[in-house]
Amino acid sequence: MFANVARSRLLPMSVPFRFFGAAVAFHALAWAALLAGARDVPSFPGGLGLPFAALHLATLGVLTMTAIGATLQLLPVATRQPVGSIAAAKAVWWLLVPGVAVFAGGAAAYAPRILAPGGALVVAALAVYAWLLGRNLFSARGMPVVVAHGWAALAALVGLGVTGLALVARYEHGLALDHAAFRGAHLVLATYGFMGLLAFGLSQFLLPMFAIARPPSPRSAYAALGAALFAILLALGGYLGAAALAGLVAAAIHIVSLERSLRARLRPALGPAFQLVRASWALLLASLALAAAMEFGWAPPRAGVFFIVLLLPGWLLTFLLAVLQRIVPFLASVHAGAGAPLTSALSPQGPLAAHRVLHLGALAGLLAAVVLDAPWLAQAAAAAGFAGALAFGGFFVGVLLRLRDARAVAPA
Amino acid sequence: MEFNRQISRRLHEEHEATLALWGRLEQTLALRGNRPPTEEDVRLLRDCAAQLADEVTRHFAFEEAELFPRLAAAGEGDIAELLAEEHETIRAAARQFAELAQDVTGRWPALRTLALELAERLVSHVQKEEMSLLPSLEDLLDEETDQALAGSYV
Repeated sequence: MFANVARSRLLPMSVPFRFFGAAVAFHALAWAALLAGARDVPSFPGGLGLPFAALHLATLGVLTMTAIGATLQLLPVATRQPVGSIAAAKAVWWLLVPGVAVFAGGAAAYAPRILAPGGALVVAALAVYAWLLGRNLFSARGMPVVVAHGWAALAALVGLGVTGLALVARYEHGLALDHAAFRGAHLVLATYGFMGLLAFGLSQFLLPMFAIARPPSPRSAYAALGAALFAILLALGGYLGAAALAGLVAAAIHIVSLERSLRARLRPALGPAFQLVRASWALLLASLALAAAMEFGWAPPRAGVFFIVLLLPGWLLTFLLAVLQRIVPFLASVHAGAGAPLTSALSPQGPLAAHRVLHLGALAGLLAAVVLDAPWLAQAAAAAGFAGALAFGGFFVGVLLRLRDARAVAPA
Repeated sequence: MEFNRQISRRLHEEHEATLALWGRLEQTLALRGNRPPTEEDVRLLRDCAAQLADEVTRHFAFEEAELFPRLAAAGEGDIAELLAEEHETIRAAARQFAELAQDVTGRWPALRTLALELAERLVSHVQKEEMSLLPSLEDLLDEETDQALAGSYV
């Protein structure tokens, strides 16, 4: 079907970077959509509209886009298998980018007829990606811990695609289904399932690599994976309280084992990206604790929206932006050519520092806006998030410009 | 990561030793700031210079002669080329570092800057070898070749 099989595990730079570039652009669009619909955020009841569009610009446009770009380059390193087809990898991007834009546009305009083709493009993109991912995992020869997480994430990806299509069919054709159950399953499979399991798996070798530390023991990684899968199955079965508790166990094992690994690192300085990694872990634990509290009837009003903020811009977005700010200059230096500049010389630190402050401020503001039911605060928080996304875009463009300058002076 | 090949384990141990030493130097220099070096700093710098001289001759030469050609033959020529290019960059910086280290106090500002650059280059290079070269050796080498290579690497 797709020719152009990659010979080496090192992909052309344009392949992962087109996904990262799209993620950076959708990141700004997601905050912009949230800003436009901020008045509805604190008491958002669900359904189509600007908050829904912002949610999917973040999940599909930023999280999924980043995950695909990162796994296309990093998974072959872990599995010792090249990407099955560069043409297929590019096709994923060509399907996913318009798919996300059309889907979010349809959601923002309350137009199920536009939503459906966008959703179909997204599902087509994810199907091609699932084929690439499955093919790579099937022939994997290294890092069994990462491979096991990859298989689990792939299963969740299939489930989220099916539930997503069913939900779109309900909006467009009035398909009769248990909406709350499907929406809950879709949320769990997309966040704790596909994205969460990929984040858990890639953390096992990426974070120790960044910190120059030994990875956690496979036993702890498998224990966290087992507990996470158990939690996801419980959630799909409707046992939400037990699922949240099992999820807390999984998250605690994951975080403690990685913190132990980081404590034994050989390079003392971790770098500011790890502040975001640690903040994301705290938000993961908070999301699960709140989920348990909601199920046991201890949650305050608007806890559902508070939970979504902890989960999506909180845990997943914070974590992925932390990883992205380390991967982008690292990969850029790999492609810089002879006499490559230092990774630190390719990373503009000013925009990253501004992004860190604005992103964490936006999260705090959003959480406070939900607690206080204050739309003006949600607007201010979304504005801060938008400014942070622009700063992150400045960082990304800065890396590319510095890379261009370095290549211009590199010896042939 | 756990390696099954003897030669991978040897190279991995040397990487760890390099990173531990240069990580210590990086931290010391960061704490020292622009202040002049102490006697302990001078000793640490000289240890690093000696270790680096060994790294860029024995370790690099072995990889270039025995391992990169095998990597290239297995279709990973671009990774082998990238690692070899980094060797050249580190070698040039190491030569300059050895010269400056002859007069630590007199050449301190330049030496400090170069030491920090070398620390980052070594970390980045080791990261790439640990991610790409050493795992590949698990597939590329059979038991017999592994033993022969480990025996020849002294």
